[in-house]
Amino acid sequence: MKVYLGIDVGSVTTKVVALSSDGQVLSSVYLRTEGKPVQMVQQSLSEIRQRLQGVPIAGVGTTGSARYLAGVMVGADVVKNEITAQAIASLHYVPDVKTIIEIGGQDSKIIILRDGIAVDFGMNTVCAAGTGSFLDHQADRLNMRIEDFGEIALESNNPVRIAGRCTVFAESDMVHKQQLGYPLEDIVYGLCQALVRNYLNNVGLGKELLSPIVFQGGVAFNKGIVRAFEEGLGIKTIIPPHHEVMGAIGTAFLAEEETSQNGNVTKFRGFEVTEAKYATSSFECKGCPNQCEIAQISLDGKVLARWGGRCDRWERVD
Amino acid sequence: MRIGFPHAGNVYIPIRTALQELGVDFVVPPPTSKRTLDLATKYSPEGVCLPFKLTLGNLIESCELGADTLLQAQGFGVCRLGYYARGQEGILHDMGYNIEMVKFSVSEGNKLLGFMRVFKRISGNASWPKIIMTLRFGLSKLNAVDELESLTHKIRPREEKRGETNQVFKEATLAIENAASHSEVIRLRREYTKRLQSIPQRKDADPLKVGIVGEIFVVLEPFSNLDVERELGKLGVEVVRTLSYSRWVKYSLFLNPLGVDEWREVHKKAWPYLKRDIGGDGWESVGEKVLHSRDWDGMVHLAPFTCLPEIVAQNIMSHTREDLPVLTILCDEQMGRAGMITRLEAFADLLKRRRTKLRSEGLLRN
Repeated sequence: MKVYLGIDVGSVTTKVVALSSDGQVLSSVYLRTEGKPVQMVQQSLSEIRQRLQGVPIAGVGTTGSARYLAGVMVGADVVKNEITAQAIASLHYVPDVKTIIEIGGQDSKIIILRDGIAVDFGMNTVCAAGTGSFLDHQADRLNMRIEDFGEIALESNNPVRIAGRCTVFAESDMVHKQQLGYPLEDIVYGLCQALVRNYLNNVGLGKELLSPIVFQGGVAFNKGIVRAFEEGLGIKTIIPPHHEVMGAIGTAFLAEEETSQNGNVTKFRGFEVTEAKYATSSFECKGCPNQCEIAQISLDGKVLARWGGRCDRWERVD
Repeated sequence: MRIGFPHAGNVYIPIRTALQELGVDFVVPPPTSKRTLDLATKYSPEGVCLPFKLTLGNLIESCELGADTLLQAQGFGVCRLGYYARGQEGILHDMGYNIEMVKFSVSEGNKLLGFMRVFKRISGNASWPKIIMTLRFGLSKLNAVDELESLTHKIRPREEKRGETNQVFKEATLAIENAASHSEVIRLRREYTKRLQSIPQRKDADPLKVGIVGEIFVVLEPFSNLDVERELGKLGVEVVRTLSYSRWVKYSLFLNPLGVDEWREVHKKAWPYLKRDIGGDGWESVGEKVLHSRDWDGMVHLAPFTCLPEIVAQNIMSHTREDLPVLTILCDEQMGRAGMITRLEAFADLLKRRRTKLRSEGLLRN
């Protein structure tokens, strides 16, 4: 049996899965990124290493907003954007999926598929009011754990309408409703409906949401949101197993595809990367008035890669 | 009197050449940069479109270099472009710059005559033959650079060594910009065409073909669209773009007055969905989608944030019967590079899988 690793380093969480060649998730790790992608990749890999107990790795893929960084660190066979990765994973579990709703920590997306290929996608652009961070923050305000949020929302019978267009307005509207004495569960479910309304009116605008609909991403844990989506759309949603690590699963599948085309050779640097001393730094390029901030990652004093320039000047690393 | 003018893609090349030939005192503002944008957002109304902001930034930077007479385009009716020159003039006066704004029309009347009158005026009454000669010289440079640029669209996705096309094109632009005579421009154009064609290319390259449409300024100013053409090229995508300033000049200044309509075919295709000009390049965006639904793999539609015409076009495009994936990118100062690249990568993946499927069904022409 071959084992592939998928690494998804997002803005809020870092996810790593070990996937067998027949599509079984052997092990998965889910950590908060906390602004430290390098450490979190190392930490999650060392956990996976312990659980796998010496099984060789046949290929590695990375995705998420830190996909290039993670890719350089571990020696990835494939570095893929999260939209493609998530579509691939979803198609594996629900081959006839037509719509994918994905809500993560700081972004939300919609992917429209027909006959097994993605035909359109959308991503939130400017606003956090349709994402997990919004709920996280509001749960904090209401003094409850985000894990309990969904259960409480399910108890609601008369949800309160909360202005969900903007996180700031939502917050003041919520405080207002609290002061008027509405019960907690109705406010909580009102927030869920506000998020869903915002998602459907922004990310989902102008898209045809057909069944089967797969709902994935960390926010799919939240039963209140699931209920709000199903009421809003009038369609049942499918929440696949391991829905919170779909990006990582997708990129592991892609690593399998990639290595099988390259004579089964992986570029993976091995689990030694968990102990390596990576250093990240940045500087401002003075080459032109754009003053791009160039970020670089190095290992033992040797620069591995650079990012962040508008031009090619720093891209080549010798 | 010292002339200043805004940047808009390659347009500074012919303007600079003409002013030089006419012996006028002028400044070329520094290339549009983050500083230009910072200045511009500080002094512009917040919700105004990006082309207004960027050109205002260029004009401020021109004033800093001592310009007191500024050239700016103006139009009427169709969109906010009509207010650019007037609005910017007011802002610059409020900032304390005592400048004169020389406005030339890009939408009504005989534009060629309008341009020539502007040059006659700022050159202190140069002779008509002299003005015609300088315009011809300047425009030959614009044509040469634009032609080479459209060649880079073909070479970039196929190059073996990444960045080589960009390097040669950069040299070419500089050489043509500084060429001293019309015959030198023609020689350089030929020479660099050969050099671009001789860049080693991957034999097995099978690039996707993606059209770029949208509002002309953000399409043609790489700073405003975060170099979308180059980023697509890096992803192995061949860019096709109909719009260019040399094409605009050729038709709007010379052929339209003779009754030639370069957009006839495109407007005809848009007809079932949109029957009139709505400002910006919205009508053309819709028509291009319909026209190229079989020979392009996808289309990137660029629009300034808050641009009404292009937003109308975007919403019509998603409902046409002809099927072609469209990625609309709204350009403004809040736009992030990482977000754009993620979208472009996902779009390219989507198009690749779609093409494979259509090819297997024999539904594609290319």
